[in-house]
Amino acid sequence: MLCEQCKKNQANTHVKSIINGEVTELSLCSSCAAKMGYGNVFDHMFDIGSMMSGFMGEPMASALAQERKCPGCGLSFAQISKGGRVGCAKCYDVFYDRLLPSIKRIHGNTIHTGKRLRKPQLTSGEAAVQNAAAEKIAALSQDLKNAVANQEYEKAAKLRDKINELKAQNGGV
Amino acid sequence: MEKKWYEKNGTDGDVVISTRIRFARNLEEYPFPIRCSRDIRQKINEKVKDAVLNSNSVISSRFSCINIDELDPSGKVSLVERHLVSPEFISEDQGRCLLLLDDESVSVMINEEDHIRLQVMQEGFELDKAYELASRLDTLLDERLKFAFSDKLGYLTQCPTNLGTGMRASVMLHLPALQATKAMRKISENLSKLGLTIRGAFGEGSEPVACMYQLSNQITLGISEKTAIENLKSITTQLVNQELNARQALAKEITVQDKIYRSYGILQNARLLSGEEALNHLSNIRMGITTKLISSISLDTINRLIVETQPATLIKLTGKPLDSAQRDKIRAEIVRKEFGIQASQKK
Repeated sequence: MLCEQCKKNQANTHVKSIINGEVTELSLCSSCAAKMGYGNVFDHMFDIGSMMSGFMGEPMASALAQERKCPGCGLSFAQISKGGRVGCAKCYDVFYDRLLPSIKRIHGNTIHTGKRLRKPQLTSGEAAVQNAAAEKIAALSQDLKNAVANQEYEKAAKLRDKINELKAQNGGV
Repeated sequence: MEKKWYEKNGTDGDVVISTRIRFARNLEEYPFPIRCSRDIRQKINEKVKDAVLNSNSVISSRFSCINIDELDPSGKVSLVERHLVSPEFISEDQGRCLLLLDDESVSVMINEEDHIRLQVMQEGFELDKAYELASRLDTLLDERLKFAFSDKLGYLTQCPTNLGTGMRASVMLHLPALQATKAMRKISENLSKLGLTIRGAFGEGSEPVACMYQLSNQITLGISEKTAIENLKSITTQLVNQELNARQALAKEITVQDKIYRSYGILQNARLLSGEEALNHLSNIRMGITTKLISSISLDTINRLIVETQPATLIKLTGKPLDSAQRDKIRAEIVRKEFGIQASQKK
């Protein structure tokens, strides 16, 4: 197949993009692919880098980009985007927000829906927050009971609202 | 000796030569292979080997371990020709190991692009069967090795194109009639909308050698294994039907019959055969068998010859180093013998 761009060279790069469910496909030779910025899966990330530097001022953004390294494998985000390969499992955690646009571009999705051998686990931080909220709600519920028993209805109404608010914040704990 | 999967004809074998399921997996505790030292890679080799050979599976004792660095060049390439490893896997001496089941239907590549590439191959159209086996082995291995997994992104892989299920499911299809009727381009354009992709199985040119195609899923995140396999199944079934209908029509044409019988004559009599020439004629014979023009040779034999006549596998079979001219001579001998024997047995 010939390159759809220059119509001269043999196409060896197939580019597929899914944007809002619309699929477009291009067959390109390597030089046209490079010209159009389809070198590797992370190439467009540099755009995000320059966007950030626009918001934050060049020195700060580049300092941030250079300094942050994955504690698991020592790679910086710039190194990952250059190589097109992720260094370790932790990178996906550390650079999650910055990897996500590429992941979405490749798959059109960002959430795994397949095989799952282990139940989703809360991080220790999330678990601690949830436990603290649950304890507080239990305590307030006890106060509410006492208030109702003592016919302190104004106090009871306030407690009820407070409990509902806490429950809503913590996804119905 | 029992036949290997690539020496047999399976379900819907007129069109579907073989089925493959491959999982990409990584051990949680180590960085991905690009960030691993040789020592760490060695450790991963040992861990995975131990997990596979001592797993709680009935087939664990039937695996053997092949150290890729210790193979000669043709031994390495032959693994690729038999579809047991990827070309990438043998590209460098990096202390890589392959665990291979005795019937060659399951292979575990260690330290390829990911720590583990678990692959199940079956003859014919057997996506469910291959997936079941692959998934069972995967679950057993996870118990011992603990694979890197994230709630949101699924199985974590060195290249983000494999995130999620880490699964590549594919079928190898023989599509001479759809290729001859120039239907392939349109088909491949439509496939991408379903997250599938099709490409030539042999050769790099614009037209695949021997009309062999590889159809596989492309997207691994946000789609379950089951859905991906169902999509692949339904498209394969459609392609099988289209191909068979087109073959019936083509086989009535005298030019097509002529091409098939000429190939038969060449394979029966040639004294020199290049690899590509052999493949193309074997492809014509395959079409001749399935349209009942040829009955003196079986699809099993053709499938086997397609693998056996590949350069490195030929060298491995003869056990001697051969240059290209010597290979062409031996290739012609092997093919001639099969066509001679099967033809005389029929008489």
